[in-house]
Amino acid sequence: MMRKKTCVAMLLAGGQGSRLGILTQRVAKPAVPYGGKYRIIDFPLSNCTNSGIDTVGVLTQYQPLELNAYIGSGAPWDLDLTNGGVFVLPPYQKGKVGEWYRGTANAIYQNMAFIEQYHPDYVLILSGDHIYKMDYNAMLQHHIRHGADATIAVREVPWEEAPRFGIMNTDSEDNIVEFEEKPKKPKSNKASMGVYIFTWEKLRKYLTEDEADKTSSNDFGKNIIPKMLAEKQVLVAYSFAGYWKDVGTIESLWEANMDLLATPMPIDMHDKKWRIFARNPGYAPHYIAEGAVVHDSLVTEGTEIFGHVEHSVIFSGVTVEEGAKVEDAVIMPGAVIKRGAVVRRSIIAEDAVIGAGSVVGEETGNIAVVGFGVTLPAGVSVAAGQQVDESVTF
Amino acid sequence: MKDVMGVIYTGENDARLRELTMTRAIAALPVAGRYRVIDFLVSSMVNARMRNVGVIMQKNYHSLMDHLGSGKEWDLHGKNDGLYLLPPFLTRENVGVYTGVLDALRSNTNYLSRSRQEYVVFSGTNFIYNTHMREFIQYHLDSGAEISLMYTRDPSVQREEFGTYLNVGEDGRVLDIEKDPTKPNNDATFMEVFICRRDLLRQLVDKAVAHGQHDIIRDVLMPMAATGQARINAWEHKGPVWLIDSVQAFFRFNMDVLNTQTRRALFPEDLPVFTKVRDEMPARYGDSVTCVNSLVADGCIIEGTVENSILFRGVRIAPDAHVKNCIIMQDGQVHSGAYIENCILDKQAVIKRNARLIGPDAYPIVIAKNVVI
Repeated sequence: MMRKKTCVAMLLAGGQGSRLGILTQRVAKPAVPYGGKYRIIDFPLSNCTNSGIDTVGVLTQYQPLELNAYIGSGAPWDLDLTNGGVFVLPPYQKGKVGEWYRGTANAIYQNMAFIEQYHPDYVLILSGDHIYKMDYNAMLQHHIRHGADATIAVREVPWEEAPRFGIMNTDSEDNIVEFEEKPKKPKSNKASMGVYIFTWEKLRKYLTEDEADKTSSNDFGKNIIPKMLAEKQVLVAYSFAGYWKDVGTIESLWEANMDLLATPMPIDMHDKKWRIFARNPGYAPHYIAEGAVVHDSLVTEGTEIFGHVEHSVIFSGVTVEEGAKVEDAVIMPGAVIKRGAVVRRSIIAEDAVIGAGSVVGEETGNIAVVGFGVTLPAGVSVAAGQQVDESVTF
Repeated sequence: MKDVMGVIYTGENDARLRELTMTRAIAALPVAGRYRVIDFLVSSMVNARMRNVGVIMQKNYHSLMDHLGSGKEWDLHGKNDGLYLLPPFLTRENVGVYTGVLDALRSNTNYLSRSRQEYVVFSGTNFIYNTHMREFIQYHLDSGAEISLMYTRDPSVQREEFGTYLNVGEDGRVLDIEKDPTKPNNDATFMEVFICRRDLLRQLVDKAVAHGQHDIIRDVLMPMAATGQARINAWEHKGPVWLIDSVQAFFRFNMDVLNTQTRRALFPEDLPVFTKVRDEMPARYGDSVTCVNSLVADGCIIEGTVENSILFRGVRIAPDAHVKNCIIMQDGQVHSGAYIENCILDKQAVIKRNARLIGPDAYPIVIAKNVVI
């Protein structure tokens, strides 16, 4: 028998993230690189470790290979434990029944046996879609203090944006009195962050009932939360005021990278008490050559810069050759920007090669993307907003 | 190469490294922006799939233990074998302070006897190199020699009155060994690495110690080569190699890594060098920075001017600070208006506002750990 855990985290990492276009052709969204050396999933995983939550189930479904390899034993996040640790949980055959995860609630329902092993009092539900640093333990204490059945993390969004979110209407004691999905006339600007803590006993009951309801779409936001509210369960909001960025689209992923170049950084990445851990590829420090220019940028290990880099995020093992210019761009691991190429307002995916003298992106307009492993020939142009994968010929 | 273990001796004389080795062994000396000297050796062993590596420690071994830890970063934390840290200890047979390699091996005879591998690669830590250790091992297995030594013909590691030089015959056999000559007669420098059967090493060590001998080269290898009682062969490491025996040699090694060809030869893609990970964010460059011909590690914040320098993890260069030909170790800071040239800043050293510090070309100034100027 496993030792009891107060709180077990379940990270929903199964979504494709189709709004990220060709960046998620080969990898699930949580495995998309971010911030020079991280992947999106490093943020919730590091938050768990830093919050003292050491048992994490990662629910995968879409393109799980790279995500599985990246998580591995969990050692980079100190989650390679004898008692607890990180577990990758793909859908599996149960007796005669085998099925994909049908919705967020169904994914948790299908893994109730995993959760039950630890006899937890509480379950934390996370997603792999956001860049933020959050103390889940502080949220758990809030949940316990309020004697809540469910606690939903919320952040205040600008009123004009509120109609795009799931909005929580609360009383003065943080009790949620109403939940409105994308309200036309919002009564509050407290938007759900998709981070939930449930008292496990309650969640188990609601998951089981939800599963029996054939009309349900098995979703936390659409089904579980409204039903708990309707049945007068204690639902409280937990306000979060720190940096929080959805990286679900090409534009927002690019913006979130650019945010790290602002002074001061809107998210403190130098805080030694709340490090964001990542798997380390083991390269030498990066090299800036004689004649190179690097301004306003992030650069990491294994990269060599001979050209000109302005206001960009450069990942590991990248080469920017002499005479190449990179501006307002995100260059992912192993990419090569050849001599004389110009890359602007773009995301260059892993191991892509930008041929000599080619021009990617424009000074204004949407973000251009060159996909994983694509070799762009010399002297071609990729327009603003264009996405180039292997199927594009020049 | 499951059948080969590694034994690393870290008790070398380090007087000429002065402040740099005051609180640490040469093996633990920070180099090339994010490594310690021993990382190259342990990585070479691990890249040859060696699974059992013992590190014999002598003095100042705290920073070495802290760095190596459980061996996780080198994948040496298995259930069978793994990384063994062997600090000195006092027993009836063990004096605690080793007089040399023989003494150290004799004191760790238990570790040698309970290991299961047939062969041992033994190495000191004065040299930095990254080699295909597997080729060296295969050479030994194919050659039929009792012992094989690793050597280099790079003249930059020859020293007056220091070092061991080999006369290597055309068949790879070592015909003569000279130690600490004023001027060596041979251009093959022994890199303090050898391989032999584990039981042979134990026998040789026992016999030598029983005869009151301390020097493995003079008392064991030299007579063997001279009398031909056992066959000693030698294998040439052809890549770059450095002997870290003085402040100047340490400085030159770091500066050499700035050369792109040299750096690529030291860090080939198929021989990664592993080290302890610090989980710092990528280095951040400000908007009016000049940074050229420099090696920069993660966690640095650069807002001033940096030329021909090595910046370790977490270094801060303030706006209007100027750093030229310097090595700045972990968490060092150079404040606004300061100018430093030809300096080595040990960990956490701080150069305050407007300070000027210029060392001569041939003799860099060393600022000790935690010093504020």
